[in-house]
Amino acid sequence: MAKLKESEIEAEISPDEDTLEVPVADQLPAVREDESVRQIANRRSMRTYIYLPLIFLTVALLGGLRLSGTDGSFIFVRPALICLIFAAILLLLFFRAGMLRLDGWFTEEMTGTQTAANGLVLVSLFAAATQIFNSLIPEQGLTFWVVSFCFLWVLWNYLFAEFDPKRLLKSLGAMFGLAFVTKYMVLANLTAPGGRSWLRSIIENPAQEAATWLLDLPRFSAGTGYIQFFAVMLFLLGLFLTPSSTRTER
Amino acid sequence: MKEKYIHILGIVLTLGYGGLVAFLYAAEPRSLEEFTTKARSAVENIATKGTVVIGTYEVDAVRFNEGLAAFREDRFPAARDAFERADPEKRDARTQFYIAYSFYRQGWSRISNDDALFQLGVEAAERVRTIDPNFRTDDPGLVLKTPVELRTELEEGLKVTADDFNPLRVFRERK
Repeated sequence: MAKLKESEIEAEISPDEDTLEVPVADQLPAVREDESVRQIANRRSMRTYIYLPLIFLTVALLGGLRLSGTDGSFIFVRPALICLIFAAILLLLFFRAGMLRLDGWFTEEMTGTQTAANGLVLVSLFAAATQIFNSLIPEQGLTFWVVSFCFLWVLWNYLFAEFDPKRLLKSLGAMFGLAFVTKYMVLANLTAPGGRSWLRSIIENPAQEAATWLLDLPRFSAGTGYIQFFAVMLFLLGLFLTPSSTRTER
Repeated sequence: MKEKYIHILGIVLTLGYGGLVAFLYAAEPRSLEEFTTKARSAVENIATKGTVVIGTYEVDAVRFNEGLAAFREDRFPAARDAFERADPEKRDARTQFYIAYSFYRQGWSRISNDDALFQLGVEAAERVRTIDPNFRTDDPGLVLKTPVELRTELEEGLKVTADDFNPLRVFRERK
């Protein structure tokens, strides 16, 4: 297009030749289309390489954050090994369901910087997935093993099911939602509040105190649930925004 | 913006933010104030390591003098704290020698030595020997001049011998 314009500009016009008025170069429909395609590609790149890692890393930051039930101080819980395994299975699921296409993220046609940027986006996705499991699986005790087993069961089944990206995202939303309700509503309501003396807790909340002791439930502040709800929502939003391929196709 | 620049910006942002997240989980601050303190100490630590890498590492003279003053006043924990701040990378033989000596003097007693402090002193003296095998202090106030002498004295103090039951031991002097 640019070459054609140059040849048009440079061609000599004889006085006898009929001339025709044409729009200036940047107003030509083809140029306008080219510009809008470039803007769309730029917006896509910004979304994939700037916003997505920011979303996923925020999830990675918040996923392990708890607020102490006694003084509200920060507690950063590092993920258990099983969370890494679940995150790896989840990534495998994304590729199986076509939510991510390997040839769309890594090809020989891509430049080195794009390959590195793509790799980092996937690493941030993995970190976020790990921390989401860290957020939704109880920290210790019997409940940790029960919920972990449920996650393993579901993910294992998903591995052999036929999925399309939309259905996978819905299923994951449902699974994470159920896990969230279990941990931050059911188990949190069974946990006795912290910062009280043992005797006072026994007298005021005998059932909660017994459940906390029997199930080995950690005492976190109610604010933890709000933070984790935000983290789960942000993770699902990140998954929704994740493109299956980063190759520019015209 | 060119697509390549977006890729580079993305890489820089991801690495920077990812580093911050990793730091938070490593440092585990309990509040925002603690985060600031830990971040400052981490930056100082990185800066010190940087000076070691580029070969401009120096002992903090002000803190060393504070440590020396505390050492001479027999305030050994304070002295060690100042010495450790003066030489955070444990690369200066003179500072490390004073640390080892402070363990000896604090742990020494006419009747029975503190084995735990003496053991720490042995480790510190060994560190001096590793840094500079020919180190010799020029401080006239120290009787034991080399790390080998200091280490031998500390090891003798750790052993239980028949001499330990000699009542005349109470008349011995700290070196």
